[in-house]
Amino acid sequence: MERISDWLHEKNPGLDGPIDADEDLIEARLIDSMDFLEFIDLLEDLTGDTIDLQEVTIDDFRTLNRVRARFLDATGPAAAPAAAG
Amino acid sequence: MSTPGTTALPDGGLKNPGAGLITLDPVHTALLHGLDDLLTGLAARLAAPEVTGPPLLSVDSLARLDFFRNFPHLGVSAGRFTPEALDGLAAGEEPGGLPLTPTGYLLPSATCYGLLLSLEGRDVGEGGLRLSAAGRCFRNETHYDGLRRLWGFHMREVLYLGTKQGAVEHLESGAGFVGELADRLGLALTRATADDPFYDKGGSRARLMALDPVKHEFSAPDGTAIASVNRHRNFFGERLGIRAGSHGPAYSACVAFGVERWVHAMILAHGTPEAALDRVREAARTRPPA
Repeated sequence: MERISDWLHEKNPGLDGPIDADEDLIEARLIDSMDFLEFIDLLEDLTGDTIDLQEVTIDDFRTLNRVRARFLDATGPAAAPAAAG
Repeated sequence: MSTPGTTALPDGGLKNPGAGLITLDPVHTALLHGLDDLLTGLAARLAAPEVTGPPLLSVDSLARLDFFRNFPHLGVSAGRFTPEALDGLAAGEEPGGLPLTPTGYLLPSATCYGLLLSLEGRDVGEGGLRLSAAGRCFRNETHYDGLRRLWGFHMREVLYLGTKQGAVEHLESGAGFVGELADRLGLALTRATADDPFYDKGGSRARLMALDPVKHEFSAPDGTAIASVNRHRNFFGERLGIRAGSHGPAYSACVAFGVERWVHAMILAHGTPEAALDRVREAARTRPPA
């Protein structure tokens, strides 16, 4: 999670302190739409798996907790239910 | 007083100057104005004051809103002839092909841009702000199709800036209004998620939008989208430094109407412009209180 947190802080230099694990990253635009594919690349790099955008929902990316549960705690995206949220 | 001879159009009607450019005859103009008047009902319901946006937008400002990253193909530029060309033009030289210099301004492609830019650095307060405006908007298209797809058209919008929840409620109000007005006008509309006309349809912004639609359109039976509800999250609030009191960067949302497309949808639904106009006038007579 540290690399994700670092990435979010790098993209949002105005952020002070840690990001709440339940903060809505999408709605608050901590993941800006222009950076969304870069965030996917980061997750793929971290997990070593490809993420098929046809098999995920926006809620999979909505908070740090959801990202962890969907992509990092599982053995890979294929192991998690496609509509986990 | 006019005499019958001065009000009748000549044989062949009014000519159009080119593709995507239409001169509206009296009946179509009455439809356009009558429908626009009905569409102001949303602003009245939401107590959104009417303002008039600027007729041109600076390219520097639009660049800050990622306009060119998203829609480089749409922009219709305001150019002017180079000083060297003026003497020739004044002497009767053909203007076609003569170079134009950029002015640094584009014609608006959407009504809300000018309103948002006018609020740069402002604080809309804890309660937020609504503004209503209509303007002529211009978009370069690959093809034009009657009133459905024009090079220039009228877009009426009701814009909200404030809190995240306020933006959601604004769009709910807008969607409710569209449904009620469509019923009164005898229009059958379908609501569906929609894409903005991104240039890079495989790009990051388009891919996120596919996962989390921020735009819904209301379409006539032939597929013509005549209204949309759009949420921007806090994008414009952040980019333009617009605050909502202690809530920080303002969230924004807008409800937009393509007025010529409402004219098209009314004629499609009622068969002739005259029948459509009768229905618009009837709806105006039975307009519910705001």
